[in-house]
Amino acid sequence: MKETRRSTRQNHLALGQQILTIAMERRMRRGDHLPEQTFSEACGVSRTPIRSAFKLLEQNEILTWREEEGYFLAIGSSDELADAVQKLEDLENSLAQRILADRAERRIGDVQSVRGLMTRYDASRNSVLIALKVLSRDGVVTQMPGQAWVFQPILDSPNAIDESLSFRLTLEPQAILAPGISVDLKRAGLLRAQMADLLDTPEGTMSAARFHRIDTDFHSFIAECSGNRFVRGALLAHHRLRRTTQKDTSIPDFRLRQSLQEHLDILDSVESAQYELAADQMILHLRRSRIRRPEAANRGTPPLMRALRA
Amino acid sequence: MSVSPLIALFPEASFGAALNCVGIAQKLRQMGATPVFICHPGFTGVFAEYGFKEYHLAPTAKRSTDAIEDYWQGFITTHLPHFDLDPMAQLPTYVAPTWQAIVNTVVAAEDGLAALFDRIRPDAILLDNVIMFPAVANAGCPWVRVVSCAETEIPDPDVPPYLSGLPADDRIGRERFEKAYLRETRAAHRRYNAFRKTHGLAQLPAGHFLESSPVLNLLLAPSATRFPRRNPLPEDRFVYLEGCVREETRFDAPHMPVDHARLVYMSFGSLGSIDTDLIGRMIDVFATLPARFLVNVGGFLEAYSRVPDNVYLGSWFPQPSVVAESDLFIHHGGNNSFCEALYHGVPSLVMPYCWDGHDNAQRMDELDLGRHLHRSRWSPDALRSTLVTLLEDTAMRDRLAAVSRGMKAEPGTERAARAVMDALGHR
Repeated sequence: MKETRRSTRQNHLALGQQILTIAMERRMRRGDHLPEQTFSEACGVSRTPIRSAFKLLEQNEILTWREEEGYFLAIGSSDELADAVQKLEDLENSLAQRILADRAERRIGDVQSVRGLMTRYDASRNSVLIALKVLSRDGVVTQMPGQAWVFQPILDSPNAIDESLSFRLTLEPQAILAPGISVDLKRAGLLRAQMADLLDTPEGTMSAARFHRIDTDFHSFIAECSGNRFVRGALLAHHRLRRTTQKDTSIPDFRLRQSLQEHLDILDSVESAQYELAADQMILHLRRSRIRRPEAANRGTPPLMRALRA
Repeated sequence: MSVSPLIALFPEASFGAALNCVGIAQKLRQMGATPVFICHPGFTGVFAEYGFKEYHLAPTAKRSTDAIEDYWQGFITTHLPHFDLDPMAQLPTYVAPTWQAIVNTVVAAEDGLAALFDRIRPDAILLDNVIMFPAVANAGCPWVRVVSCAETEIPDPDVPPYLSGLPADDRIGRERFEKAYLRETRAAHRRYNAFRKTHGLAQLPAGHFLESSPVLNLLLAPSATRFPRRNPLPEDRFVYLEGCVREETRFDAPHMPVDHARLVYMSFGSLGSIDTDLIGRMIDVFATLPARFLVNVGGFLEAYSRVPDNVYLGSWFPQPSVVAESDLFIHHGGNNSFCEALYHGVPSLVMPYCWDGHDNAQRMDELDLGRHLHRSRWSPDALRSTLVTLLEDTAMRDRLAAVSRGMKAEPGTERAARAVMDALGHR
């Protein structure tokens, strides 16, 4: 029960960050009203969690509440909004997430001991064990005989992202084509609204973090629709790993928008039961996402397309 | 000519030229032109991600990925030691073989390039390279030269020799360097001139591999760093640009376990990232400083472990957006990095590897807009002290702010696109 409460709070913190990112993208200012319905559609969740996230933002003096009017921004500049997002991120940073972030950013090695983690994070043995348990539930770490814990491969390099896309190219079209696909039209509609909202942001201001969140939501949704339970399970676990460890802040604005449009086209096709078309569209989408820049280039030399072997 | 002129941009196979052309193409598109890219093998998709149509040159020789990796392993072994040499010593070791390799690429690309132009039939070609491709000159449409290296690429008696890293007033050094340059590039130049002859192009003087365009030449040389020339370039054909900084995706600085206010960005370009030992040494110094460091390690991310808490490694950053957020930019003196630092008013620590990086490092240092440091000959204390001094130099920051204001008042991408449209009669 305790764990459920903690995870609910984490969700509200994540939602709070999403709300503030949207407020930044819409260039909202101090005193602007935040309508529940608008944010519910933009974030793709019902109004109840939005209300809870608003409340949490109010507790942190980011929003103010007026009776019968609702919530209003209590901070003004984009810097203040960015600081507020950071503050929520700090609150959200559970030990498990800090460990995972440090691993994804190569601050810690792939083999860890409980004692080593206790020292690095100044945490109790119990806290570290809980964090490792959370990570092992998602398949990120595995306990070895003895005291060692080993991280599994994560999406922390161009080569790893390329392998991930190769894996997804094999499975994601199959998730759509497997007999028994079932599409939750309400959720599809919420996702559609979220993507349309992101597409509405002015050119050059789209947040890579918000795109990544919506991207993993969309691909997880397609996995959940699948009629093949093993494909579904493998893809859902993989998208969880992508969500927590893949960081790509380098995709040009044009490609982010093109990618969102491809998601919408795939949704159109699965909603109208054109599964073969949807699977083909998924292949096209993933192939475009798989394009790699040269790893190194120089005048007069053939570009290096793959990181050199160690 | 069509209402929306079709403009084929043909950057060399390097990120500097490629991304510089993206900046110009973004503006050309806004002005109603149809920019398309001629794409070297390996650059497939780089321009499509910015929304531009690509036409691909076929690989000139069938090389497997393994063979290219072996080539790069050899390149690293051979040339890493050369990057430590001074510009004069790099002439026989790095510059001469690189010119030979560049001539090879021109010879190999010629037939495919001519066929592509025949297929596309552009209204104009933008060539961003250091060498002429006969197919460009013979395409039957105007061509524009983009000089995206340092201004030194266009010679003048009062401008230091290209690739020399010399100050403008070093007459003795100049004579020695020019003589050595002509000697070391002679073999490649002879071969290239012979190739030009077979394709009906005029011979070029010794040391020259690319003529000026009779229509329009664009120089990425901000006014703050421009050299006074004894023979001023004709204004009707030469247009100076205040850099050429492209529009990039928004950058949100990553969260780090430390809370230092200052942000330092380091990138030596994709070529510089091959020296993982050097970057590792620098990271050890960064770990001792109260600042956050973003380090572009290109395709070599997997070579690093135990990254300090104040350092974040990435294989690619939307550089102009990152520089805009930074307090200091450590780079190799590539002309895009040079211009982006000035455009955003950010001090530079320039640690050149080769080519025009030497020229830009010297220029940045002599104008007091940054510092020049040998790329590898430094002690941890010396590097630390240089970084701290640059971060605290408010006078330099004030000078840079003025430079930045001037450059932003006349963005180079817009000026370039306007000049191209004007040259084509689309006012």
